[in-house]
Amino acid sequence: MPLIQDPEFGNRIVTLMAAMVLVLQILMAAQRWLVTNIRIFGIQSFLLAMIAGTIAVFNNAPHLFAAAFLTLAVKALLVPVLLERLVAKIEIQQEIAPYVNVPLSVVICGGLTLVGYVVAESFYAYEPNTGAAGLGHNTLAVAVSLFLIGFFVMINRRKALTQVLALLSLENGLFLAAVSLTYGMPLIVELGVFFDVLVAVLVLGILVYHIRETFESMDVSKMRRLRG
Amino acid sequence: MILILLLLVPLAAGLASYAAGRRRAMEAIHLTGFAVVFVLAFLLSGRVLAGGPVTIYDSFLYADALSALVILLTAAVSLLCSVYAIGFLRVEEQDGAFGNEDGGAAARTKLRLYYTLTPLFVFSMLLIALANNLGAMWAAMEATTLASVFLVAFYGKGTSLEAAWKYAIIGGVGLSMALFGTVLVYYSGRALGGSDTLAGLNWSYLAVQASRLDPKTMRLAFILALLGYGTKAGLAPMHTWKPDAYGEAPVPAAAILSTATLNCALYALMRFYVLTSRSVGHEFPGSLLILLGMLSMGISVPFVLIQRNYRRLLAYHTIDHAGIMATAAGIGGKLGALALMLHMTFHTVAKALLFLCAGNVSQHFRTDLFRRIGGGVIRVMPLTGTVFLMAILAIIGMPPFSLFQSEFLIVQAGISGRHYLASVLFVIFGTGVFAGALLHVGGLVLGPRTSAPAADWRPWQGTPVLLLAVTLVVIGLWLPGPLFELIRAAARVVAGE
Repeated sequence: MPLIQDPEFGNRIVTLMAAMVLVLQILMAAQRWLVTNIRIFGIQSFLLAMIAGTIAVFNNAPHLFAAAFLTLAVKALLVPVLLERLVAKIEIQQEIAPYVNVPLSVVICGGLTLVGYVVAESFYAYEPNTGAAGLGHNTLAVAVSLFLIGFFVMINRRKALTQVLALLSLENGLFLAAVSLTYGMPLIVELGVFFDVLVAVLVLGILVYHIRETFESMDVSKMRRLRG
Repeated sequence: MILILLLLVPLAAGLASYAAGRRRAMEAIHLTGFAVVFVLAFLLSGRVLAGGPVTIYDSFLYADALSALVILLTAAVSLLCSVYAIGFLRVEEQDGAFGNEDGGAAARTKLRLYYTLTPLFVFSMLLIALANNLGAMWAAMEATTLASVFLVAFYGKGTSLEAAWKYAIIGGVGLSMALFGTVLVYYSGRALGGSDTLAGLNWSYLAVQASRLDPKTMRLAFILALLGYGTKAGLAPMHTWKPDAYGEAPVPAAAILSTATLNCALYALMRFYVLTSRSVGHEFPGSLLILLGMLSMGISVPFVLIQRNYRRLLAYHTIDHAGIMATAAGIGGKLGALALMLHMTFHTVAKALLFLCAGNVSQHFRTDLFRRIGGGVIRVMPLTGTVFLMAILAIIGMPPFSLFQSEFLIVQAGISGRHYLASVLFVIFGTGVFAGALLHVGGLVLGPRTSAPAADWRPWQGTPVLLLAVTLVVIGLWLPGPLFELIRAAARVVAGE
């Protein structure tokens, strides 16, 4: 049987790429440079697009090609370009300044990955033949881990722009979950979601710019006038 | 046709305002747009009452009684707020609240921002209520956040930016959970025929097939949707953005946020609630709703008691009422659902009125702090002061006002549904908020005069305040027949009959 028609082979490729996505997510949580962070997000989105494309080929789900293309265009290219421009424009210092130091962050990410596997396992046990299991429950576990690590990064970062990146990577986790559970959502819903992501990046970008202008810093921990 | 127009008119109004850019033209477009939307909402309610759910485009858009009620309330509030906003923004411009060092350019930008974004904001809320597809509903919910972020950041001060940032980030994270919940609903319906098409996420389709949805997945989906849409509704512990956003947004936008947007978030929750309770039974989603409802009511009590800023006081009050409505939904049954819908209607009227009154006070005294005003608003601004006091009495549940009836109905439903602990806590928290709000607003409105009497009657701002005040008094005594029919029909949708 030629490899291209063997779903088992497709699953292995997807699992491999999902593992790389997870590694990138942990890298994002661990490293300290803003521009690197943006690029890691770009590569991660590129891998997600590839995953969607692979599933579309091997599992005969042609509408996923559209989702793959949108991910490539919006999340892997447009969003990183917009964010890097913003970074250049507001001339921020590049260091990220997390609350928790790097070694501890990595340990926490490892713990969250474990939680992701436990959650995904319950789906796997439920029905061994379709959905999550059809793709190997690794993919769903990675998706849940991405989601959780995204949360952690969000809480752990003080700079406004890194919070935006965390929100976006959290969204990546969702995309992976949708792809691995149901082969993506109906196309018009995907379109709506991508439109929202794009507008959200624009809106948050403008807001970051204003915050930078007004507070002369992007450190959101300095914004604490509103209490009670 | 009505459904399409309901979406197209606000969208067009927003874009036209952006294109027009001149104040007179924008005001005219704004007013006309919302007047048309209100008429359309009225017609839609009539049609739904007469002939049941209206659908088009292969039921991509779908309006039953629940949607119609939410749309009617949204349209009414946004029409009144649009009238108010015209007067409000004129006064703001005159008083130099937008900064006038650059010859009015900043003011023009602000006006254009307001008149463009508000219709888009309302458009996305109407889409929430009309979208049958749960994914499209989610996208519309996210769009409400995106459209209103710059309304919160409107004044461009440090505090407004802080509020806008919190609003955008907390809202974004919350809604990502709701999207996860939506994906899980889609997944739980995979065994159904046609589940991989667009219709597989249609609420009307899923509601019929709900007993065949996978219960385990639906439980998780409901938790995520509750956290997600609960964030939008401002249920504790995801409520922290709310006082900031309501305190910083321009008053008419804050009034829309605290009434129409709250209703839309609860509407989305109810859609998930119906699916979940049909799939796994009422007990599970009901007790979660009661839990979060009680938490919201409980958390708002101390903050109402110690509050120093009257707009933030109103915000905590809205958190309290979001909790009340979540509790009513959680108690459920025919009585709980009816109480929920009645309360939603009454709260919308009273809270919109309170915010508009607070706007008048804030515009005259140029501060939102109780301490700086000191008291005696009723002597400085007799009309605003009187109405403010009346509205606060109404919203804390004094008879004969209508909110007393709906809150009483909730307690009654709670006791007959054997939720004794929840009912007792409901009364205790209700009393706490009652005392706190009355103390603060009483101190603000009554007392000796602290400054010279103001020109209290400004037609643009006075008319919506008077209209809402009259409505508030009237619905306390008599609810128009068709409106009550619509509320009952909406309650039947929530109760899942």
